[in-house]
This record gives sequence, structure tokens and C-alpha cells, in this order.
Amino acid sequence: MGLFSDIYNTVAKFFRPQEGQGDASKSVATNRLKLVLMQDRTNLTPKILEQMRGELIDLLSRYVELDKELLELNFEHEGDQVALMLSIPVIRAKDEEEIEAALRAEAEKIEAKLENKGNNSEEDAPEVTEEASEEVEEEHSTNEVADGGENSGMSTPEDMNTNKTQEEQEEVKEECQG
Amino acid sequence: MAGRVIVITSGKGGVGKTTTSANIGTALAKAGYKVVLIDTDLGLRNLDLLLGLENRIVYTIVDVIEERCKLKQALVKDKKNPNLSLLAAAQTRDKSAVNADQLKEICETLKEENDFVLIDCPAGIEQGFQNAVAGASEAIVVTTPEMSAIRDADRIIGLLEAKEEIKSYKLLLNRVRPSLIKSNDMMSVDDVVEILSCPLIGIIPEDTGIITSTNKGEPIVNDENALAGKAYRNVAQRILGEEVPFLDLDEPKGIMAKIKNVFAKLKAKV
Repeated sequence: MGLFSDIYNTVAKFFRPQEGQGDASKSVATNRLKLVLMQDRTNLTPKILEQMRGELIDLLSRYVELDKELLELNFEHEGDQVALMLSIPVIRAKDEEEIEAALRAEAEKIEAKLENKGNNSEEDAPEVTEEASEEVEEEHSTNEVADGGENSGMSTPEDMNTNKTQEEQEEVKEECQG
Repeated sequence: MAGRVIVITSGKGGVGKTTTSANIGTALAKAGYKVVLIDTDLGLRNLDLLLGLENRIVYTIVDVIEERCKLKQALVKDKKNPNLSLLAAAQTRDKSAVNADQLKEICETLKEENDFVLIDCPAGIEQGFQNAVAGASEAIVVTTPEMSAIRDADRIIGLLEAKEEIKSYKLLLNRVRPSLIKSNDMMSVDDVVEILSCPLIGIIPEDTGIITSTNKGEPIVNDENALAGKAYRNVAQRILGEEVPFLDLDEPKGIMAKIKNVFAKLKAKV
């Protein structure tokens, strides 16, 4: 088999002199083009897309365990309309307790942040506007994604979950490679 | 009579706007219609060269606008076809010598006595583009199956969509190389149409005959045997409302192609 394909490749070179690094440069071009056009058409920068992705992962992780590596965020066009297509490989749904714990942790985080902010600004803005609190949440969630959730208030169950998730993720990857 | 005013545009330079203008204009004139070609690429005029009329130009569009001559005096008749005439761009001036209203007025006047007014648009999306588009009600967007040309075409389509005067726009895919598409090294016609979601008016194969025809100042539609010429004649027919199937661009199978096929089959078995 190996010998035969070696011979084939050598002979084929005489007939196709330009063919070098694989014959799928067209699909590379198509994919790059689709991405860049989506950005051109919607004015969404890669940075914003990445942030959106992070926040979506964060939000959905409260309810289900996701395979973050395989999550896909794409734009699709049909005529004039643009649709945001989110493909999320779900590993398992969380049970009610876990969801509540996650929500509680989230709420605590926001409260803690608000308190901190209130102290720092020496009470010149006791009522934090909704916008501001959202900003705080965003900051926090980006950190959390980066740290792998170490700072979250409910470390015990989360850590266990993370371990499990990693194992399962590896399995998924192996399946993909196979 | 009120003729149709069609702008030929692309965004990116070098994809074949001028070649397309010259060929579609010539093909429509050959079919018996009165056609005026307007070169709006001020300072970089080339349409005269492709038509072989460079030595006959006395007045340009700027002379008309600045009233040094009448519009009719500036129209240069084609050597072979009296139905076709050219309003040349000024070579010594830049885009600011003309504005959109002036071009619109010229188009209005010309369409009274002609079946088609074809406007060869300059590259880019600035003033030159805005001027060229101003008087048109239809557009042909020329692109090639390359990323940069497609991206620019997408921008142009977006701009055309925003213009109320443009009632319809169609895509002309130029310099298609079937052998590269076959080896998956070039986007196919379907790929490009899907990405741009724009109706197609023509597929022009890459043809070395274009180079020789440009050298001679003789549009390739005049060559009955050239594939690109045939493709352009088909575009003209589609503009006239006829349904013409797109050319089958698969290359004629020679001995080498057959040998390749045998090896491809062997490879599939391995």
C-alpha cells in the first residue's frame, strides 16, 4: 500500500506540477472569506466576537455542562438576513441544586463587587446603575473563564465538575480524532 | 425612446470592468442596438484602448461638462460598428472635474437617443464610483473568484443596495479557471454566488485571447471562436432578456486529461 502510493505520488507530480500543500486551498479561501465578510457586514470585530463567545459560555454553563472547546459561534446568511448560529456540545444538564448554587454564586459575586465599588468610591455613588453592574459582571466573567473558575464561591462542587468535564472532554476529542 | 443605463463596477481594480464594458457594448451594438459607452475613469482612461479608438478622441466628457463642445461632438464612433460610440474620459484631469449631477444629466440626454448607455466605473468606492453610479438604473458587478475581489464586490453590492435609483444588479464572474476549480484551488461559480447572494449574469473563462484582443484594440466578442467572446455574447443576450444557459467550461478532454483520470481512479482505490 505505502509503496504503491509513493509510486503514485511520484508519477502524479509529473502531471500536476503546481499541486503542493494539499488541494483544499479553495475551502480555506471560502472559510476565510465568509468570516471576513461577516465581520465587514455586521461590523463585529474578532475581539467582540470572542467576548460574546466567552459570555455565552459563562451564561450557559450555569445550566448545562458544555464542551467549551467544541463550541461554535458562526454567522449564516440567507438573503438579506443574518442569523447567529451557536452550536454547543452539551455534556450533561446540571440538576436543580447545581443550577441554584451557580446562580447564588453569581449573585454573591455581583453583590461583593458592588460593595467593593461602593467602598472604593467613598459613597459618592451609593446607587450603582444597572449598566455599571453589568460591566462589573462582564469583567468578572472574563476573568473566570481565564482562571478556569478558581475564584468562584462554590469551589467544591465546581471543581469536581471541572475534573469530570476535562475527562469527558478528552474522550470527546479522542472520538473526534478517531 | 428611453434606453437603459447600466453601470459596470467592481470595487477592486484589475478584475475586468473595462474589458467587460467594451465587450458587452460591442456585442449589444452587433445585435443591432444603439449603444454609448462612457468611460468615467478620469485620469486613467483605457476604454478607448480596448476599442482601438485612442487616436480618434478629440473631446472628452470633461470638455462636454465644461461646455467646450456639444455632447454629440464628443461621441467617437466605433471603427466597425456605427451603432457603437464612446464618450471618453479626460486623461489629464482627476475625478473632481465631474460631479454626480453632471453625469446624471449626460446619461439622461444619451438615453433619449440610444438603447443602451454603459458606464465603465473606476475602481474604488469614492467620488468616482458615486459619479458613475448616479445616472444608472442597473448595475453589473464584475468580480473574479479571488478573495480580495469578492470582498470588494460585497462592499459594492452593499452600496448599490442602498441606492434607490439602482433597480437591479447582477454579478459577472470573470477570469474563471475551470482546471483550478477542478483541483479545488479556486472557488467555484456556485461558491461565489452563494457567498455574495447575487443573481448571476455571466461566467467568463480566463482566456489568453483577451490579451491579444487588447493588444489589437479589438474586443474579443468579434472573435467567433474564442470561448470568452462567446461568454460575453451570452451576457449581452441575457441583458436583452433572453434565457441563455451558462457555458460548460469543462476543458476538452485530451490525452493528458485521460491519463490523469486513470491515476485519479487508481488513487481512489488505494
